[in-house]
Amino acid sequence: MIYRLRHATTYEYAEPVVLGTHFMHLLPRERPGQFIREAQLDISPAPDNRRNEVDHFGNFTTTVSLTNPHKQFVVELSATVDVVQPAPPKADLTPRFEQIADAAIRRADVAEFCLASPLASPTAEIAAYGMESFPEAQPILTGLLELNRRIYTDMKYKSGVTNTGTIAAQVLKTKAGVCQDYAHLMIACLRGLRLPARYVSGYLRTLPLAGEVKRRGADQSHAWVSAWIGDAGGWVDFDPTNNLLVYDEHVTLAWGRDFQDVSPLRGIILGGGRHSLRVNVDLDPVLT
Amino acid sequence: MHAVATSDEMIDRSGRLRTPWVPVMDAFRGIGQDEMARRAAALNRQVRLAAPFGAVAGHRYDPLPAPLTASEFNVLEAGLQQRALMLNATLEDIYGRQRVLHEGLIPPAMVFGKPHFLRSLHTGAPLTTPRLSIYAADIIRGADGRFHVLRDHTGIIPGFGHALTLRRLAASTVPELFRAGGLRSLRPSREMLVDHLQRESQGGLIAVLSAGVSSQAQAQDMMDDALLARALGVLLVEPGDLAARGGALHVKTLSGLLHVATLIRGLSGIELDPLEQGGRVGAGIPGAFGAVRAGVLNMLNVPGSALLEDAEFLSYFEPLFERFLDEAPLLPTAFGDPLLTASKAPFVSGGSLVSTPLFFRLYAWHDGKGWQVLPGGIAFGMDAQGSPAGMKDVWVLDADEPQFFAGAAAHEAPERVAFLPAAHLPSRVADNLFWLGRSVERLESAARLLMLALPRLESGTSLPRDVAERALIAHCLAQARLLPADLASGSISGRFLRQTLARRKPMTGLMKEVARLVHASSERLSPNMLSTVQFALNQATDALAPNEETALPAILGFAATFAGIAAENMSRDGGWLFLEMGRRLERGETLSESLAILLDSPPERMEPGLALGIELADSVLSYDLRHAGILSPGPVLAMLLADPGNPRSLGFQCTALRWSLERLGADDDAEAARLLQHEATALAGRTADLTTPLTAIAARLRLLSDRVQRRFFTLLPEAHQLEDEEEVVATAK
Repeated sequence: MIYRLRHATTYEYAEPVVLGTHFMHLLPRERPGQFIREAQLDISPAPDNRRNEVDHFGNFTTTVSLTNPHKQFVVELSATVDVVQPAPPKADLTPRFEQIADAAIRRADVAEFCLASPLASPTAEIAAYGMESFPEAQPILTGLLELNRRIYTDMKYKSGVTNTGTIAAQVLKTKAGVCQDYAHLMIACLRGLRLPARYVSGYLRTLPLAGEVKRRGADQSHAWVSAWIGDAGGWVDFDPTNNLLVYDEHVTLAWGRDFQDVSPLRGIILGGGRHSLRVNVDLDPVLT
Repeated sequence: MHAVATSDEMIDRSGRLRTPWVPVMDAFRGIGQDEMARRAAALNRQVRLAAPFGAVAGHRYDPLPAPLTASEFNVLEAGLQQRALMLNATLEDIYGRQRVLHEGLIPPAMVFGKPHFLRSLHTGAPLTTPRLSIYAADIIRGADGRFHVLRDHTGIIPGFGHALTLRRLAASTVPELFRAGGLRSLRPSREMLVDHLQRESQGGLIAVLSAGVSSQAQAQDMMDDALLARALGVLLVEPGDLAARGGALHVKTLSGLLHVATLIRGLSGIELDPLEQGGRVGAGIPGAFGAVRAGVLNMLNVPGSALLEDAEFLSYFEPLFERFLDEAPLLPTAFGDPLLTASKAPFVSGGSLVSTPLFFRLYAWHDGKGWQVLPGGIAFGMDAQGSPAGMKDVWVLDADEPQFFAGAAAHEAPERVAFLPAAHLPSRVADNLFWLGRSVERLESAARLLMLALPRLESGTSLPRDVAERALIAHCLAQARLLPADLASGSISGRFLRQTLARRKPMTGLMKEVARLVHASSERLSPNMLSTVQFALNQATDALAPNEETALPAILGFAATFAGIAAENMSRDGGWLFLEMGRRLERGETLSESLAILLDSPPERMEPGLALGIELADSVLSYDLRHAGILSPGPVLAMLLADPGNPRSLGFQCTALRWSLERLGADDDAEAARLLQHEATALAGRTADLTTPLTAIAARLRLLSDRVQRRFFTLLPEAHQLEDEEEVVATAK
């Protein structure tokens, strides 16, 4: 599926900002099953310094510095992305989850996703909750699909009850939140079982296919979970907010251990006073 | 636990004094035990004086060195060079291709689980400078007589400032020790390091980045940071002094924003860059990591290098020598309890010597071509818990030099410190000195006013003259904010005013502000100046505690000490100019405000005000000498407003301000000061209606003060984090 992606973020300041530095994860990365045909990030006012880099996780980052006073700051991503995730293997034929845990911690490219991170640390309660989907010798993919479904069922989708700093342990207590919280809870559950899981930030197609319900988290930045199921299967993505196995409706922006590693836009500003924020996301299939 | 025969630094196995200790112990015997204890105390005082005000000297400094022979040093030098190469190669790899993780030489989970593994510094290509540029190792001499590495310092390098300073201080307190020949000097090394840093910085500034005096928890490190900055002749900065602009770091100085090319890092890499790591904005430098990655900022060491300090890594190092250098390690790692295996050395304790296990801390840096090892360092005695206790200077003695020679001592000549132009003075420092000048003057004028007021408040009669005088004084006290404004008018009893003063303790508050600013400005005051100021400050503070009224002479004593020191001991550079301007502005404002009150009466009833005026301006004696004590408006006003030779006249303050502003290149403000001086002189010719013009002059001095602040100190406005609220906001649809 080929998509046209547009993500515009606009900050309006009450007072002029005299110096702004922004650090962004706003250019989509490539991955197996995702090919970037073109992508660009337009920034207004034009920054006087701009650096494009690749971070620890292989994500694209952009750092800009604005030294002329401004009352509006606009970042607009536009991209054309080709997405089809490879179909996963048959669930009951995937390795036992214990084997995955043992292999993952020794792999230089996987090990860190088994470890706790600031927003997605397992607690005893989280581990116990996750364990229900992973009885002894459970095939990894069977367990993952089961956990994905349980989190979708047990959680109540509600905005405004959490924020960008809410940790997984809190999410398990209140069982309510947005996509970020669903993802953190599922990641922490897997880490509680010593399984590797990472946080994926990206987008979901705006309009559903004919006959499908409108997805939660469309029209905005979305987040989901990627889990490693061994050398053969590699990384497979799950969207617990919509109880989906990610296939061709999701465009990946970046991944990390949790939200903090891939926060789309961070900034330090001098001046500015009160500000307002407007976000606009469109992800529409290109008719070919 | 079983006893292990440890070795001794001073005594060899057959019970003889080891060669490098012979001159040390000869000198010790010559000095005598009791005198040595006094010298030890003197050394500790010296170090405290060299430290910035308020810094905690956490160590006991021992006057006896820990000498090493040249051949021992050669072994250590080669071992440190090799180890530094291995450590840097490991850091480059972990923060680059991560081959050691893929090859299983280091468990990946161990690296990724450490808080000092900073993902932001993991880069696709190597940085323009090595990850590790300064290195220190703690080393013990084991029971086998060989040197073993106890731990590595690869992030912040602790004690480097002490290592470059301690010998100079010891040489001045125990010169007898330094008569031994063959002591290798630290100076060539230090100068080579400075030259290297300057070459690398290509005209950009070099600074030591410190947490700052405000963070008491790090006061010990702060002391080392300050000593290091002084030893290398570079700036000492705090995170708040720095800002990223156009992708590079700048320090706000009197000549504007200057590019900082090199930072010797005294702050942890964790939470150093709030832009990428989150965390409190004021505690770090937003954009610092990006500047390091882009090669426009060199940090010694690169953040994240502290990773290898973790003791868990020690057991993984041996194969890495093989992996990266194809060599076996020259220095083994010390495993087990260092207290049981480390050699012992004597420390001066009271009147005797106590033998304590010790470790050496040696320093090395990369000069662009290879690793240089400082021929010296510091050695620490270990207390029962193995924590550092006493600190010694490490000597390297060249054996083929004669043991003794007559004539001048071989100790270090005074340091050659690179000249720091006033233009590089950080705005924060100038700001603090300006307010220090103001606050000391405010303290002094308040004390002077109270000295004048107290006897008159108490002994007041109901004679019209006394009543008028009391009203003037009450008004002045309110103007100086020593009394609430509502007590200024009317006929409130002197006794009540005095009780109010005793209850409000205004001097205590002023004194606290002075102490705070002395503390904040300490890096610009010389050690001698600091100790004298601190002594006077303590005396005045002690005197204030029981009773503010009786403390007034001590406060005036402090103010006089401070003024004398500033006049005699400070060079007239940028720092002094700000202290001076602060003082002159405060004195000018106070004088014009009080005179506006005191002279607010028709000429025939001006006499009480005139008398109080010359007394307040401490000019009674000069006036009496000149005018035989006969008070009349003309001569009094000439003396208080116009006299260019009276350091307490309004004209004098304006002239001094003009001179300082000209020196700083602030020509328009200097012109404003010149006009004020003219007006003050012109006013002296008047005999009535002085209040309005004097009030106007005070207002214009305040305006000038605001302009000085805006021009020189307006620090970058406070930064704040622009949170990514997108998830929360957007989901509200």
